[in-house]
Amino acid sequence: MKHLPKHLRPRWRYLAVELETWPDERLGRRSFQRELWYAGQNLLGDPGSADADLSVVRFRFTDGTGEAVVKVRRGETESARAAVACIDEIDGAPVGIRVSGISGTIRAAEENYLGRDGQDSEERNVVFGNEERVAVLRDDVGDVRLDEAFVGATDLDYHLV
Amino acid sequence: MYEAVHARPDGESTVARVAKTAADYGFEGVVVRNHAGARAAYDPDEIRDEYGIDIVEGVEIRADDPQQASGSVGNFRTSHTVVGIHGGTTALNRFAVEQAKVDVLAHPMTGNGDFNHVLAKAAVENGVRIEFNLGGVLRESGGRRVRILQSLRKLGEIVDHYDAPYVVSADPTSHLELRTPRELKALGEEIGFSGEFVEDGLAEWGRMAERNRHVQSESFIEPGVERGRYEEEP
Repeated sequence: MKHLPKHLRPRWRYLAVELETWPDERLGRRSFQRELWYAGQNLLGDPGSADADLSVVRFRFTDGTGEAVVKVRRGETESARAAVACIDEIDGAPVGIRVSGISGTIRAAEENYLGRDGQDSEERNVVFGNEERVAVLRDDVGDVRLDEAFVGATDLDYHLV
Repeated sequence: MYEAVHARPDGESTVARVAKTAADYGFEGVVVRNHAGARAAYDPDEIRDEYGIDIVEGVEIRADDPQQASGSVGNFRTSHTVVGIHGGTTALNRFAVEQAKVDVLAHPMTGNGDFNHVLAKAAVENGVRIEFNLGGVLRESGGRRVRILQSLRKLGEIVDHYDAPYVVSADPTSHLELRTPRELKALGEEIGFSGEFVEDGLAEWGRMAERNRHVQSESFIEPGVERGRYEEEP
């Protein structure tokens, strides 16, 4: 079909979203999209989520952190932000999520608000709570592996072995 | 704006990790409100210096009955800046709002708990903040979430009518459950609270901490009586 004249095309805003989870979890683009639409539908209802759109246009995930760009109709950014905040798990993995910025183009969203954490994570042995543990370290934070779960910690909580 | 968190061993992240994330998210402070049986070991000054965020030592008292809660309040009041009661039963909700030593009645509507005009008036009289706990809105779904939203709406109407003091929190138990103030404001708008209401509720934790620190400081003797500069040795 012939595309719309410019003044009739919808205006989009792009939410730069940062994701975080435990180091042994993997997040996929499809599951993130599914959870985002669920969150939108549950919080905003069908009309609200239709208005907001909420489609994932960029997604990247490595080593427990990820970033995404979410397309939202202009004027619905605050309700989209609320829907994003309501994502607490993706495929059973608990996620920390925040909107780091909003732009009018995908490129500006990526350049201004994403890609800042280029750090690599590494596994190290640390002493945490008087016991030697394995931790996944990144910048000055680390997730310490206990028997069956992780503990979120920082450099103040453990000593490198 | 402040956030009130449960840290390890009550939650999954250490105080330092939650504080660092909260600082990144734009919070000015963190109130550590671990339950009395699961207190965290941490050095508030070290964390404050490292991440530039205020750390408030608090406690949330979980008790079976008012007698037990009363004993715990007495024990923790002198050592902790913020003392909260783990609400959710009629008896404890009532105990909390009638006890001026209590700062916060946390999540009064969970479980079998309920809230009414009598409790609201008592809360105003004793300066007990009623907590609006957004944790269920953020992390539950389906019918349970609908019930939580209903109870928050009811609580909001009562608190608004009596102008009772209140606080707002997302009640995170790990750094992953933290949400930024802007996200919480946007969420508040969606569920029927204004952005200013949420912002004010988040800021109230900080005002409460400041006031309690002043009251507990050495220079404070009783309301209106403080150690002034003329008492110092010449």
